[in-house]
Amino acid sequence: MKRLWLVAPIALTVLAVACTSNNTSNNNNGASSSPTGVVKLTMWMGYTPPPPVNQSYEYISLTGLVKEFNKTHPNIQVSVQYTNSDYALNKAIVALQGNKQPDISYQYGTNMPQLATAPKLVDLTQKVQEPGFNWNDFFPGERAVATINGKVLGIPALVDNLAVVYNKDLFAKAGVPTPTNDWTWSDLMSAAAKVNDPAKKVFGMAFPMDGSETTVWEYEAMLWAAGGDILNSDNTKAVFNQAPGVRALTTLQQMAQAKDLYPDFHPDAGKSEELFNSGKIGMIITGPWDLSSFPAVHYGVVYMPSFDPGGSHQTIAGPDNWVLFDNGPARVAAAWEFLKWFTSTPQLLKDAMATGHLPTRASVEAQPGFLTQFGQKFPGEDVYAENLKNVLKARPQVPQYPRVSTALGQAIVNVLLGKGSPQQELNAAASQADGFLAIPQ
Amino acid sequence: MTGQPIAATAHKVKRAEKPERRFLFSPWHLVLIPIVVVMLVPLVWMLVTSLQTLGETRVYPPTLVPHSLQWRNYSDVLRLAPFGQWFLNTTIVTVAVVIGNLLLCSLAGYAFARIKFFGREVVFLLVLATLMIPFQVVMIPTFLIVRRLGLIDTLGALIVPNLAQAFGIFLLRQFFRTLPIELEEAARIDGASRLGVLFKIVLPLSGPALATLAVITFLWTWNDFLWPLITIYSPSHYTLQLGLTTFQGAHQTVMNLLMAANVMSIVPVLLLFFIAQRYFIRGIATTGLKG
Amino acid sequence: MQVRRVLQSDHVTGWALAFPAVLLIFVFGIVPIIWSAIMSFQRNNLIAPPVWIGLENYRALAKDPLFKTSVAHSIVYTILFVPISVAGGLLVAVALNRKIRGVRFYRTAVFVPVVVSTIATAIMFLWLFDPNFGLANWLLGKVGLGPYGFFDSVNGALYSIVGMTVWGWIGFDVIIYLAALQGIPQELVEAAEIDGAGSWGLFRNVTVPLLGPATLFLVVWSTINALQLFDEVYFLTHGGPGTATYVVVFYLYSLAFSQGIAGYAAAIAYVLFGAILVLTIVQLLVGKRTVYYAS
Repeated sequence: MKRLWLVAPIALTVLAVACTSNNTSNNNNGASSSPTGVVKLTMWMGYTPPPPVNQSYEYISLTGLVKEFNKTHPNIQVSVQYTNSDYALNKAIVALQGNKQPDISYQYGTNMPQLATAPKLVDLTQKVQEPGFNWNDFFPGERAVATINGKVLGIPALVDNLAVVYNKDLFAKAGVPTPTNDWTWSDLMSAAAKVNDPAKKVFGMAFPMDGSETTVWEYEAMLWAAGGDILNSDNTKAVFNQAPGVRALTTLQQMAQAKDLYPDFHPDAGKSEELFNSGKIGMIITGPWDLSSFPAVHYGVVYMPSFDPGGSHQTIAGPDNWVLFDNGPARVAAAWEFLKWFTSTPQLLKDAMATGHLPTRASVEAQPGFLTQFGQKFPGEDVYAENLKNVLKARPQVPQYPRVSTALGQAIVNVLLGKGSPQQELNAAASQADGFLAIPQ
Repeated sequence: MTGQPIAATAHKVKRAEKPERRFLFSPWHLVLIPIVVVMLVPLVWMLVTSLQTLGETRVYPPTLVPHSLQWRNYSDVLRLAPFGQWFLNTTIVTVAVVIGNLLLCSLAGYAFARIKFFGREVVFLLVLATLMIPFQVVMIPTFLIVRRLGLIDTLGALIVPNLAQAFGIFLLRQFFRTLPIELEEAARIDGASRLGVLFKIVLPLSGPALATLAVITFLWTWNDFLWPLITIYSPSHYTLQLGLTTFQGAHQTVMNLLMAANVMSIVPVLLLFFIAQRYFIRGIATTGLKG
Repeated sequence: MQVRRVLQSDHVTGWALAFPAVLLIFVFGIVPIIWSAIMSFQRNNLIAPPVWIGLENYRALAKDPLFKTSVAHSIVYTILFVPISVAGGLLVAVALNRKIRGVRFYRTAVFVPVVVSTIATAIMFLWLFDPNFGLANWLLGKVGLGPYGFFDSVNGALYSIVGMTVWGWIGFDVIIYLAALQGIPQELVEAAEIDGAGSWGLFRNVTVPLLGPATLFLVVWSTINALQLFDEVYFLTHGGPGTATYVVVFYLYSLAFSQGIAGYAAAIAYVLFGAILVLTIVQLLVGKRTVYYAS
């Protein structure tokens, strides 16, 4: 009996290690280059496999394309591995430390500055200039996010942008005219005031209040539309506390003071979306990914408003990238072959029509009939696709940006909670940001 | 404390207990029922959500009563996801870790509790010290060590680093110290080795502590998320918690299936706890000690 | 001669028994801690090769206002959480330590919050305590109280987290106390009752002192964990509203993984480590003097 105690855990450990040991002689997730010349690649992506089938159309589209590639390119075989995109950076960091990185990985655009310091991240600057690839076909906002310190380090995988989604029925009931793409912030504020109904617990507009990047990037769209910038041109000083920044934040402050805003302190929990879908919120600033969360509402999509009539409707995008890791020249070359094919116009067109993803290339959008078909199949997404022309700037891709964003987020929340004036709070945030920007990286 | 003659071994004597009258309605129920209601609210919510359609889960405030009972959510999870594989992997890991801890922490806990050896206090403090750094900080060095052992992407990565945990050592050391030492001294005088005393005398009296250690270790290993996330890559080696992340889609969470999967994954732990109750009965009396 | 032999073999035996567990903990616990200590003296973002910068991280820490805020919050949280959960656990355990019908079910029910994953708990509490649509404010409204902001109020968020974590972890204290209660010798209880002690006297003079070791364990354990509060903040409030629930480990996690400043985060972790170590030693020393081990 005593012996069994000793034997059992040891046996179980050995058993577990033996049964499941993934031939430790094989590094890098089993991908390898065999003598017959077939290069095996590993690709990390975050589209969930079924179940349920009706939620995994992105996975099906992507794996369908991969299968097609594998068939037509017998000497390059790509295998797809699911990695929740929220954790993709963490996993990549850890994998890089242990030399177990994949060949291709999906990474949020905001991960790029940190990844840029990885020695094993492949520099694509020369590759994107290859004839036929047409790097400039990708929208400027995407290219800016994929470029760090002048080096192209990723290929756009997904693009989106922010627009205003509104509840048509609530608007009609409150007597608000249908918004058009050239509307202004005063139009929006008056719509919010009319829709807002405290007795029925209906709010004019939802706004994320947790001070995270979710808060900040909505503000940044307004900042750009007002004619301002986040940092100066060489990213050494914050300039969001100048007049346009103050104007944008004051607009939000006025809405908060009028109590037309639903302050969502937990935007990641999807509360605003659920409330919108329950008819309790008139407007929500969000992206195309959320449209499928609103099955119970007649929604409309309209550009972000301008500050002055006829002014800019600039908005912000959060593009994500495919990055390549260096596992040896043979695999890098093969991975680039794959990525070139995967992100070319015919494949992107197929994927867009299957998934509702906004096209990352302008040539896809320019295909005759595309926008109409796209809008028919995915109501509202055609507006988002057209809105891509309003994405002119990107957030500064510097390693200090997250800390700058935290300071700016705190300032915004403080103002909306009534704890300070816009100029005061923005000045405080700007001086904090200047401090961060001065730290050598 | 005594100087009196002591019994040579511990008897488990069922003393003549006061007849426990089981009231049909003891007043304690009045105290316990409200507590239990408060504790059970999440389980109820999880169950309700797991029986809703996806559309029903998308509203706010949540509907507490589903329009229809979608039992198919459970069969969907079992059918469409490799739930069985996840369950098997998690079970293997958890059982190994629990047995390992029961054994190794008993040995070490006893040493720390009763044997004065060189460096004992310092080593014990070092053991405790491992609890004082957040895992998020040490997880990368730990990953590198595990990788050097060739265990990445195997269940071994989940088992080996956890075979002995500071919690178990600390818990058992405290518990062993509460046992009357006279029993052990008597046995040693009779010629028993330390190991013999541990297995023949101390452990049989330690039912509640061992049951507690087993349940808690089971729970933590079963629910561990961060460590499997960074050490396991192949879907065939996924544990339950990793598998659950596949229900959290790139943009939306499939809440009803996620809750169904969650309910199914907490059932084993609750079952284990319910069964382990037998080790928590009163009345394991020891006798002949305080004369 | 015989004494020396016994002493010698005590050292050997002690080490022999403790060795397997201690080895594992050393390899997978101590070594990473030393590694992280080295990281705290570097500029390290976990990807690029690190750069040695000596005490610079620690100097920056001393001037970091968000760090100071986080420390204050962690302290307040711990001071509230530990006594409430330990004392509450004791009371509930005593209530559950009897043979009444259905006690197995009651005990399992009390344990449920411990078993449910933090994510599920967070989602549920977010709804329960929603200022506009939540059940809590609805119930409170019925008796004329509220509405309260709970997780959305700058002043109330930290206390709401205390409430939620007490609820979520009290089952752990209960199970430990239940185990310890089984070890209380019947003779002592009966002797005290014969001496005329009422239930309260029995509780105060017999039960509580004999539960000393368990209480010490729970106080030390709860303190160590309370000072490292992370999951609930991460899933529930993300440090907000504003910075109202910023606690130390949440701050260092956001630095290390969201902002790529792992070296600085390691320095914070070490300051925390030092504090917890000192506190634990103090608690154990106090325990040495006041805790009664029945032997």
